[in-house]
Amino acid sequence: MEIYINGMACISHHDTVDENYFFEDIGSVPLNNQLIATEPNYKDHIPANLIRRMSHIVKMGVSTGMMSMKSAGLEEVDAIVTGTGMGCCEDTDKFLRMLLDNDERFLTPTSFIQSTHNTVAGQIALQIKCNGYNFTYVHQNLSFEYALLDAMMLLKEQEALTVLVGAVDEITPSMFELFYRGGHIKKLENVQPIWNSNTNGYIVGEGAGFFNISRIATPSTYAKIKGVKCIQGISDANELTNEVNSFLAEIGLEKDQISLVLSGNSGDVVTDKKISEFNKTINLPIAYFKHLCGEYFTSSTFALWLAANIIKRQVVPNAIFPDQAQVLNIQNILIVNHHEDNQYSLMCISKC
Amino acid sequence: MDALIDKLKGEIIEQLNLEDLKKEDIDANAPLFGEGLGLDSIDALELIVLLEKNYGIKIQDPKDAKAIFTSIQTMADYIKANQK
Amino acid sequence: MANKVFVTGMGIMSAIGNSVEETLYSLSNNRSGIEKIRYLETSHKDNFVVGEVKLSNKELIELAGIGTYNRTTLLGYIAVREALKMASITDMKEARTGFISSTTVAGMCHTELLYKGFFEGKNNENFMDHHLNGVSTNDIASHFGIRDYVTSISTACSSAANAMILGARLIKNNILDRVVVGGVDPLSKFTLNGFNTLMILDNEWSKPFDENRKGLNLGEGAAFLVLESEKWVKEKNKKVLAQLIGYGNANDAFHQTASSPEGHGALLAMQKAFKVAGITPDQIDYINAHGTGTPNNDASEGIAMQTIFKNHVPKFSSTKAFTGHTLAAAAAVEAVISILAIQNSMIFPCLNRKEQMKNLTITPVDTLEKNVSLDYVMSNSFGFGGNCSSLIFAKN
Repeated sequence: MEIYINGMACISHHDTVDENYFFEDIGSVPLNNQLIATEPNYKDHIPANLIRRMSHIVKMGVSTGMMSMKSAGLEEVDAIVTGTGMGCCEDTDKFLRMLLDNDERFLTPTSFIQSTHNTVAGQIALQIKCNGYNFTYVHQNLSFEYALLDAMMLLKEQEALTVLVGAVDEITPSMFELFYRGGHIKKLENVQPIWNSNTNGYIVGEGAGFFNISRIATPSTYAKIKGVKCIQGISDANELTNEVNSFLAEIGLEKDQISLVLSGNSGDVVTDKKISEFNKTINLPIAYFKHLCGEYFTSSTFALWLAANIIKRQVVPNAIFPDQAQVLNIQNILIVNHHEDNQYSLMCISKC
Repeated sequence: MDALIDKLKGEIIEQLNLEDLKKEDIDANAPLFGEGLGLDSIDALELIVLLEKNYGIKIQDPKDAKAIFTSIQTMADYIKANQK
Repeated sequence: MANKVFVTGMGIMSAIGNSVEETLYSLSNNRSGIEKIRYLETSHKDNFVVGEVKLSNKELIELAGIGTYNRTTLLGYIAVREALKMASITDMKEARTGFISSTTVAGMCHTELLYKGFFEGKNNENFMDHHLNGVSTNDIASHFGIRDYVTSISTACSSAANAMILGARLIKNNILDRVVVGGVDPLSKFTLNGFNTLMILDNEWSKPFDENRKGLNLGEGAAFLVLESEKWVKEKNKKVLAQLIGYGNANDAFHQTASSPEGHGALLAMQKAFKVAGITPDQIDYINAHGTGTPNNDASEGIAMQTIFKNHVPKFSSTKAFTGHTLAAAAAVEAVISILAIQNSMIFPCLNRKEQMKNLTITPVDTLEKNVSLDYVMSNSFGFGGNCSSLIFAKN
């Protein structure tokens, strides 16, 4: 059984909600250590009476979900599966500060109820009146991958014909400070091209990516999903190579059938070590994405959106491809992602 | 009294994020819930805290809130009657 | 999809005991674990009663002996250890083994103590190490060496039910041979105050399915089940506690926090569970209801039960007046209780109930019933975001 991406949408630092935009204007080095999302006009996607209570992440998630539905030409789906690494940081921060500052008095419910991790999935269900299966995964940088695995399993089980699957994460001033002081985020003066970085820390980002997937292809189909694999951790680059080889064998592809690898280098010289070594030895064209979207727990959504776009357009943007060699006839793209060398994931999509 | 109504309108717009509304758009006698402003049960809880925080009035039973929050006018009347 | 899913082990930490055995003792002796706040640091210490696990962090650290201070991980670890022991599992590599946990607040109980100081520059402790969902899951999985499918779910108060549903599906789809599933939530100021803003906490003992119910009592805890495939159980000739025969998840799509008056989502979840189980409503012998004791939940859930079971609603009770509402862990806590009911032919009562609910025709079991043969037990859990889940356990 094949699984198709029939619609998708992405909010990121760049103007990815504009269907015509494809990074034509972008250089290889971001100008900041924090890539804040470029937001659409949310009122185009969410009714005013729902929007007034929504925080940044909820608006990003719900509107991206709605845009994905629109791009698939759908008004309803059988199931909604979402992921988030950090959840609703703005609301959590707001409620926590209110609680601590006022000695647990004068608290209001809105930020509390919207701090739950399944707020986005619940709000989308509410908006499109979807009574179907509704799950939210919160497994750090594998949150989206596990959501996608579940969505694919629902299709295989014939429990659903179409599933809306996606993930979202936000960076708030508090979270920035927390990660910056913890040495996770790069100092501004250390920002370099991520594929050639010798400094510590990553460029932090945020964003949302949603996908309408189905067992049935439509005229709007972008690509088909060949496989997704989550890896709890690896000891060295060799192990990553072995995981990739066995993954490719599982999905029935030879290594030389992979047209392009999207590598999840974050620009942190320490935790990129294994993936950089892998990139050097795998002997395939390597492109990068985290200089465009930043590092966040569900950055894989951006990578998948980018890969599906590359396959449909048959164009590799110069901004992501340091080799600048011509890659023609893009058949299969492999995404290799990780977060600070903890958990790794592999995703492969193919041209239809 | 008009000053209190005016103040309440401002506070409600801010507390409930009714960003598209201006004070003059709100009729003090129009229903807050259902038809009128279209507020819901979560807004009611927000208003309970507003009364406690800004006016020192504590509503113990959420069931009482319904009558108090009929309109801005009834809220103002309640504040006037209960403020120490 | 013929592979059946069996429960071969369970572990539990809650206000009514630090093991399955202690839990059974409390349940069959009407001993609620809901008391004045003993361990949680809060200015509401005298305002609410809660279901705390009766161990301080220090005592939990000693009991677990794994070198972490995170209450979430500790509670989860101890419950998983008990479940694995009961299932006689020691070698994780002999079969494809997964771990699916769930939590709503994760390490919030520690974050809220460090947060202000961090941002005021008084401490530099990176509480992200325990704050994130997924951290306790990974910590527990790595302590036991589970690697094949390790993930975390968070769907508010139905979380652990959804962990169990995912686990069962992974076995049926032949992705795993066995999987440890459940949930954990510690008490925190964050949740206590959060539920307080919604005005759905009862200051005294909660009274699920009572006309004068005022709200819920929060609890904390962890519970995990070991699910194993029929094939693996047969191959290893393992002792089976129960079968997870049916499950369903649906969304109420009505309101962010409140349930629809007719309990539409609950109804759909139960219908799906019957379909998966291949049984009819009249075969259910007992329902462990969500029954939080809030005016909204019990009314909506009661209506949904009356609708699906027509005039023949089976015996039902909510056991939340024993344990408190343990949020993400609740469905797993109640799965353990449901299986204890099956094993011991008992129905544990709905405590504190006095007056019949006016909008319902049905009445919960409110005194302990013994010697009732239970073949099929249903357990329901509903959460914010309209998330509704239903599970059916079978004796054989």
